[in-house]
Amino acid sequence: MRGRRAVLLAALLALAGCAERPPGDGPVTLVFKHARILGPADPFPGLLAEFAAAHPGVRVTSESLPWSSDEQHQFYVINLEGRSPGFDVMMLDVIWVPEFARAGWLLDLTDRVRPEELAPHFASTVAAATWAGRVWALPWNMNVGLLYYRADLLAKYGLRPPETWEELEAAVRTIRAGERDPRLEGYLWQGKQYEGMVVNVLEALWANGTRLLGADGAVFPEPARAVEALAHLRGLLATGVSPRWVTAADEELSRRAFGDGRAVFLRNWPYVLDLVEAPGSAVRGRVGLAPLPGRVRGAGAGSTGGSHLGISRGTRHPDLALALVRFLTGERAQRAMATGAALYPTRTALYRDPALVARNRWLPRIHDLMLAGRPRPVTPSYLLLSTTLQPELSAVLVGLKPPARAIADARRRLDYFLASRR
Amino acid sequence: MTRRERADRRRGLLLMAPTLATLAVLTVYPGAWVLWLSLQYRVPAFGVDRFAGASHYAFLAGDPRFWSAARTTALFTVASVGLELVLGVAVALALVGQRRGRRLAFSLLLLAWAMPAVVTARLFEWLYHPAAGLLNVLLGGLDLNWLGDPALALPAVVLADVWRTLPFVAVLAYARLLGIPTELYEAAQVDGAGRLATFTRVTLPLLRGVLLIAVLFRTLDALRAFDLMFVLTGGGPAGTTETLTVYAYRGLFQMLQLGFGSAVGVVVFALVMLVAWAYLRLLRAGEAAA
Repeated sequence: MRGRRAVLLAALLALAGCAERPPGDGPVTLVFKHARILGPADPFPGLLAEFAAAHPGVRVTSESLPWSSDEQHQFYVINLEGRSPGFDVMMLDVIWVPEFARAGWLLDLTDRVRPEELAPHFASTVAAATWAGRVWALPWNMNVGLLYYRADLLAKYGLRPPETWEELEAAVRTIRAGERDPRLEGYLWQGKQYEGMVVNVLEALWANGTRLLGADGAVFPEPARAVEALAHLRGLLATGVSPRWVTAADEELSRRAFGDGRAVFLRNWPYVLDLVEAPGSAVRGRVGLAPLPGRVRGAGAGSTGGSHLGISRGTRHPDLALALVRFLTGERAQRAMATGAALYPTRTALYRDPALVARNRWLPRIHDLMLAGRPRPVTPSYLLLSTTLQPELSAVLVGLKPPARAIADARRRLDYFLASRR
Repeated sequence: MTRRERADRRRGLLLMAPTLATLAVLTVYPGAWVLWLSLQYRVPAFGVDRFAGASHYAFLAGDPRFWSAARTTALFTVASVGLELVLGVAVALALVGQRRGRRLAFSLLLLAWAMPAVVTARLFEWLYHPAAGLLNVLLGGLDLNWLGDPALALPAVVLADVWRTLPFVAVLAYARLLGIPTELYEAAQVDGAGRLATFTRVTLPLLRGVLLIAVLFRTLDALRAFDLMFVLTGGGPAGTTETLTVYAYRGLFQMLQLGFGSAVGVVVFALVMLVAWAYLRLLRAGEAAA
C-alpha cells in the first residue's frame, strides 16, 4: 500500500515538474492575445523585443483578437471553457474581469502582486481589476467618458462649457439659433443598441444621482430617478438637441460628424482628441473638453473603460507570464503606448510626465477626468445585465416604450436569469 | 425479394454507412446534445449545472423579446425571400434578353453573391449613413435615419440581404431559362399568345421546379439570418432587427446562459425543420403532378 502511494507521489511530482519548465531549459514561448492597436506607430514589436532581450530563452508570440468586443468575448469564452486555451497573457476589457475571475479562467494574482505595486494606478481601474477582494489583472490602459465642445462657437456666443443638462440644452439652442446652419447639430452621443449606449445611460443615471446596481445587488434601486435620467436622454432626441440619428450612432459615427465640424458637443472617449487635433482636421485647435454635465452642478461623471492584462489559469509559465504583464503595464511600456498608439495610461504619474505633456497638452485635464471617472458595475453578471438592458433602453430612446415600463420589463427578465445563477 | 435484390440492398446499406455515420456524428449527436442542454440551467462560468425541465421553454412562451425575435425572423424571411424571388426572376429574364455585355452583367451579379456578409454589412453601413450616406443623397437629400429608426431598420436590413442574395435566385433561374427550347416560344407565338401569356403559361411553369428549390435554400438561410443584422444594427433599435439566431447568440456567448441559449437554438432548429418538411412535400407534390 505504502509502496503504491510512493509511486503515485513520484508520478505527481514528475507531472508537477513538467508543468513548470524553468526558463533556459529550451526555448519557452509565451502567447499574448490582444486586440489590434491603432495609432501612428505600433509600439508592440519594440516592446516585445525589449522583453525578449531581458529574458533570454523566452519568445513572445503576439496574436490578434477579432475586431469587435463582442467577438473577442466570444473567442475567450469558447477557448477558456476548453482545457488548454493556447495563450498565456490576455488583454481583457475591464467589464470582463469579474466574470472571467468568477469562472476560474484567470490566475489569482493576489499573493504575487503587492499592494504598493497597484498604488501608482488610478484607484477606479484597480477596483475594476479586483473582485471578491482578490486581484485578477493589472491595469493596462484607460478611458473615460468626457464632453468635447467647440470652443470657438462657445466663445462666439459668450458661453462657458455647460455644467448641467439645462446649460447644455440652452447652449445648443443659442448657438444653433445664431448660426442658422441646418447642417450644424447640437449634442452627439452614442445611442445605437450596443454596449456603448449602456455606458451613456449609466452616465445619465450617475448625473442624476442614482445608479444601475444598488449596494444590495438590486437593479435600478431608485426607479424614479432612473426614469428621470432616461426621460432626459429621450428628451434630447425629441426636442432636437441631439439629432435623431444618434439612435444609430456608435463612437466612430458620432466622432466623424463632430470632427467634420457638424456638431457643437460630443460625448466620447479621449482617443477622439488625437483625431480632432491632427493636421487636416476640420476642427483643429477649436475643440475643448470638459466633464460631462450633471443634472445639477458637479454631479456629472464619465464612465471609465479600457483594458487590463490577465493571465490564463491554464498557463504553464505563470511566473514568466506575470513578468510580461508587469513589463507591459509598467511605466516604460505605458509611456510608449501613450506616444505611439494614443492609449491613455493607467499610471497617474505619466499624466505629469513632461515629454508626454509636451506632446498632448490636455493630459493634466484628462488626469482629473479619469480621477473623477466611475467604473461600470463591477459584477460577474455585467454582460448579462448589459445584454438584457440594451433593447429595453433602446426602446426608450427611440420612443417606443415609456421609461418606467422599460425598467419594469428589464427587471422582470433579469430576475429570471439572475435567479438561475444562484 | 430475390436473393440478388437482398444482396443489393445489403451492399447499398454498406455503401451508405459512412455517410450515415458521418451525419450521425456531425448532426444527430450535437443536435441531441443541444436539446439536452436546453433542459438544464447551465452557466459553466458560474458553476451552475442543474436540471431545469421545460422552464426555459415556459419562460420563452411569455418572453416578449423572444416573440419579437420570432416576428422579426418571420418578417425578414418573407420579405427578403419574396423580393429575391421576384427580382431574381426579373434579372434572369433581363439577362436572357440581353444581346451584348451578358458576360459582364453576369460577373457583376456574382460579385455581390461572392462578397462575405460582413463586408456587405460594412458597405451598407456607409450607404445608410444618416448624414453622408449615398442612399439619402440619392433620395434627394432626405435625412432618413435608416438604422436608427425602428420602422426603417428592418427594411434596411432586408434591402441589404436582397442585394446580396438576389444573384443566387437570378443565376438559377437564368440557367433554367437557357434550357427552355425555343420551339415552345415559337409555338406560343403561333397560338397567338402575348408577352404576358407567354410568361405565365410557358416560362413560369417551366421555372417552377428550380424556383421552388431556390426558395427552399433561401428560406432556410433567412430563418437562420445572423451576420447582416449583427454587424449593421446589433439587433437594434429597440430590438426590431433581432432575429432568433441573434437572440440565441446573445444568450449563449454574452449572457453565458448555455441552457437558455440552447432552448432558443432548439426553437430555430424546429422551425427550420418544419419549413423544410413543408417545402419538400410541396416539391414532391409538384413532381407527382408534372
